Amino acid sequence: MKILILNGNPEKDQGNVDSCIARLRERLQAAGHEAKIVVLRDLKIGYCTGCFNCWLKTPGICSIQDDAIDVTRQYIASDHVILASPLIMGFISSLLKRAMDRNICLVHPHLEEVDGEVHHKKRYDKYPLISFLLEKEPTTDEEDIAIATDIFRREAINVWSSLGFVHFTETPVEEIIHAINVH
Amino acid sequence: MQLTFINASPRGIKSNTGTLMEHFIRGFLETPGNVCDTEYLVKYRKNLPDLTEKFRRAQNVMIGFPLYIDAMPGSVKAFLEALAPLAGQEDLPALGFLIQCGFPETAQTRFAGRYCEKFSRRIGCRPLGLILKGGCEGLAVQPSFLTEKYFSLFAMLGQNFGETGSLDETLLAKLARPEHLKPEHLAQIIPFINQTLWDALLEKNGVLDQSFARPLMP
Repeated sequence: MKILILNGNPEKDQGNVDSCIARLRERLQAAGHEAKIVVLRDLKIGYCTGCFNCWLKTPGICSIQDDAIDVTRQYIASDHVILASPLIMGFISSLLKRAMDRNICLVHPHLEEVDGEVHHKKRYDKYPLISFLLEKEPTTDEEDIAIATDIFRREAINVWSSLGFVHFTETPVEEIIHAINVH
Repeated sequence: MQLTFINASPRGIKSNTGTLMEHFIRGFLETPGNVCDTEYLVKYRKNLPDLTEKFRRAQNVMIGFPLYIDAMPGSVKAFLEALAPLAGQEDLPALGFLIQCGFPETAQTRFAGRYCEKFSRRIGCRPLGLILKGGCEGLAVQPSFLTEKYFSLFAMLGQNFGETGSLDETLLAKLARPEHLKPEHLAQIIPFINQTLWDALLEKNGVLDQSFARPLMP
């Protein structure tokens, strides 16, 4: 399986996200998966400006020339994308959200009905499964996790995916590997 | 009463978020003595501490943004992170949010809304509540009978807020309609938006026949 891990930890030497995903990649590779980490803080990724050029002028590709295009290319080529981030003020880092926002070029502006709601049409035949690997803040409570997980589930619907799992850096790596293998 | 409106739309000054809030502010200013300052997040992207300071000094703050993949845009999250050091300080402003989305159903904004409400509590601001509005795609090209209805509700909401300091639940509920769409409405609205909005723009740009291009195909 082709697994892409997007590291959305904004600070190199802070927390356990980097060490957790390094261990995870090692174990996934040992198990025969193709696993790659992309460290978002090392890349040049601008904010989506809502210009819609990727829908209406250059269909399928963003007009901001930076590293986000390559991240999106790797995303759509994967079977499973693991979005890794510390929780900051109760949600994923702005760094990771910035990269995710740039993926709207993967869908088409046209709308269609999906389970009684309006969503955008597919552009590609196949989209990766998405999962989240998060680091809790000292203040993280059950309500934060429920709010974030509900948003992740919604995000998965809008990018023609489904939510694989939401795990934390404190979760034993074996459990995360198991969650990857069952999907 | 003092209000600071932070227009956090990534589009900056010309945005659907700004258009909606313009009407809210018009209503708010009808009460003598009320003042409103508008700040644009795009102007502070490289200098968030200045906007954080403006936030701290305000009496009431409304942060408005469009829904980006079911949550706040990345730039808005960066601002919320910049507010973290204020958590627990005394005399923080009362804080509310406007979340608007292009999808016709307001229900799609409620998940991000729950996050925003928790954010107000997390930082220690008295929550003012949430203004949620679906159906905001192509606001500039929507028929005026529709937009005039939203705009007058926004103005009434602003006027009422200007008098009472709180958001009127009945007006919020009216503004949020439709929360969901019935199957027969979905069947009408979807082709209408696809043709009159998206296809018209694609055709104008000469790329209608390429709209399903897959330039990143593995």
